[in-house]
Amino acid sequence: MPLEDTAPPLRVGVVGTGSISRAHVPGWSEIGAETHCYSHDGAEDFAVETGARVHATLEELLEAVDVVDVCTPTPAHPEVVHAALDAGKDVICEKPLALTPEDARAMLEHAERAGRTLYPAHVVRFFPQYAAAKRAIDTGAVGALAVLRFERTGSLPDRSWFADEELSGGIVMDQMIHDIDQAIWLAGPVERVYAQQSIAAGTATVRTAHAVLTHRSGAISHCRGFWGPVGTDFRYTFDLAGDGGRLQYDSAGDVGITFDEVAAARQSRGDGFLPDVATLADPYAAEIVEFAGALAGGAPARVDAADGVVAVEVSRAAQESLRTGRSIAC
Amino acid sequence: MLTETTPAAPLRVALMSCAHTHATSYATALDARPDVDLVVADPDAFGDVVAARIVGSYAEAWEAWPEGPDAIVVTSANAHHRELVLEAARRGVHVLCEKPLATTVADAEAMVAACREAGVVLMTAFPVHFSPAVEAMRTAVADGTLGEIVGLTGTNNGMLPLARDWFTDVELAGGGSLVDHTVHLAEILDAMFGEPLTVHAVTNRILYADRAGEGAETGGLVTLTYGSGLVATIDCSWSQPADAPTWGGLRLQALGTGGQLQVDAFSQHVGGPGQWVAYGVDTDALLLDAFLAAVRDGQAVEPTGDVGLRTVRVVAAAQESVRTGQPVALSSI
Repeated sequence: MPLEDTAPPLRVGVVGTGSISRAHVPGWSEIGAETHCYSHDGAEDFAVETGARVHATLEELLEAVDVVDVCTPTPAHPEVVHAALDAGKDVICEKPLALTPEDARAMLEHAERAGRTLYPAHVVRFFPQYAAAKRAIDTGAVGALAVLRFERTGSLPDRSWFADEELSGGIVMDQMIHDIDQAIWLAGPVERVYAQQSIAAGTATVRTAHAVLTHRSGAISHCRGFWGPVGTDFRYTFDLAGDGGRLQYDSAGDVGITFDEVAAARQSRGDGFLPDVATLADPYAAEIVEFAGALAGGAPARVDAADGVVAVEVSRAAQESLRTGRSIAC
Repeated sequence: MLTETTPAAPLRVALMSCAHTHATSYATALDARPDVDLVVADPDAFGDVVAARIVGSYAEAWEAWPEGPDAIVVTSANAHHRELVLEAARRGVHVLCEKPLATTVADAEAMVAACREAGVVLMTAFPVHFSPAVEAMRTAVADGTLGEIVGLTGTNNGMLPLARDWFTDVELAGGGSLVDHTVHLAEILDAMFGEPLTVHAVTNRILYADRAGEGAETGGLVTLTYGSGLVATIDCSWSQPADAPTWGGLRLQALGTGGQLQVDAFSQHVGGPGQWVAYGVDTDALLLDAFLAAVRDGQAVEPTGDVGLRTVRVVAAAQESVRTGQPVALSSI
């Protein structure tokens, strides 16, 4: 296919060069993208690691690229996304799209007006375990879903902005939104949310949140998030009970390779912030490849901006429930 | 030093009703004990409980010994617990009552009060209280191994109880899975953290919808909050598929500043494709040991009727939350 050899590579502009941007790099490499970057902090290091071209301003980056990959802290998402859409670029934006439904909807509407595509990077939909469960459920493997449970465990991310509820949206908006999105993906729209949070009195970085979702279908879901003490391994589980069967998954129980404690002590550990995906088909790469393929006119991606908005709406309702102690209609 | 060497006379125990599926295991265990003289009352003529002496009415069981029984084990349908326990209190007879203690808070309060006034032991049959894993969890929580505990998730999932239709009859059982499967975990939590402040619950009726009794919920999620800020959620659903190799199980995970702990009370088994051969400790036997010792001492031990009452209050609050769609303060129940 000589044409492909001569076609210019897709030019992607990564904005924000923290840890999630590095998770996106293998996907961009896989499709042969030309990587550009801009960040308030750390752009040079990112460039050294990845070969990306550094830009001094967002405007300069926007002039140099075809697609923008927004990996900034959450509060900056709307501003960067609006600027990218104004520049006529398609956009991939880390989750959550924004901290408020209003901001998220404005981003969606802007993309529609501009005739550009906005993808929220709900990467859990690309984890092969969840994708397998989705396929099984869609083919009726467990019948009608009744009771769903999701757990997500990690350490508080090692960046000060995550600990600030105003900036990250806290454990619900930052961590649990993954499982809220899963619950909606698998069991459909949510009409009510009740949530509770517990923050350790002595160690405020240790906290848990529970959210109970009532789906329009009648199904009910429990999402449990946990930012554990230092050293906590990343772990995620789900249990999906339907009237025709049940699907269960636990990342701690199905790892493909296990080191005993002696061997593990000689290995470098993960940071507990992002899951260890060494034995999986890389879900971050799969996500980027699918988005890029869809933008190039291929099959539609499995998640769209409207999904990203709904995830923020339901997460926001959960935060409202945390604040008021009441069950909140969505 | 005590010089008493004569073995105590066998305790006269009447097992009241064979309606509950646990009647079978209790009768088998009690009948095999040399320190128990057992009479089983099977007024509904279920006919599937094995014991040396089986009678066809409660009256015959009460009159089976000239001096009456020392103790009864109540394994009737939930709604009939009250009349049997009140009769035992009236006769000065000690009681081990199946869970849930009652189908209403008023019934449970009357039962606890009557036994207290009569000075008889009232215990609630929560066998999993005696699970070594649950015992180890109580110890780890009490000794601070987990640091400050912020949250718990418990699951008590099972198949739809099919051996006896009344389990899903709302009148006789008091409800569906919310009643049947919330109380075991509520008791374990109560022993570690006391009573919750608020209870929120949602239920549905999608699982086993064609086989559950009318109006009985088959799925449920119950969220409890505590004065300490602790949050706990119980999945009480009958969500074990009918073709699973085992009935279900009970798990409880605790999260703290000192790490995580997970109990899987029924995990001990030898497995294989389609196989589940359980070898765990016989917690029914441990429960009966504790009860019979309490009867001899005349002093109830955990799990008492009081914790049975407290767990009934949690269920009542959960049912009220399902009705209102909002969390319910336990103090209002």
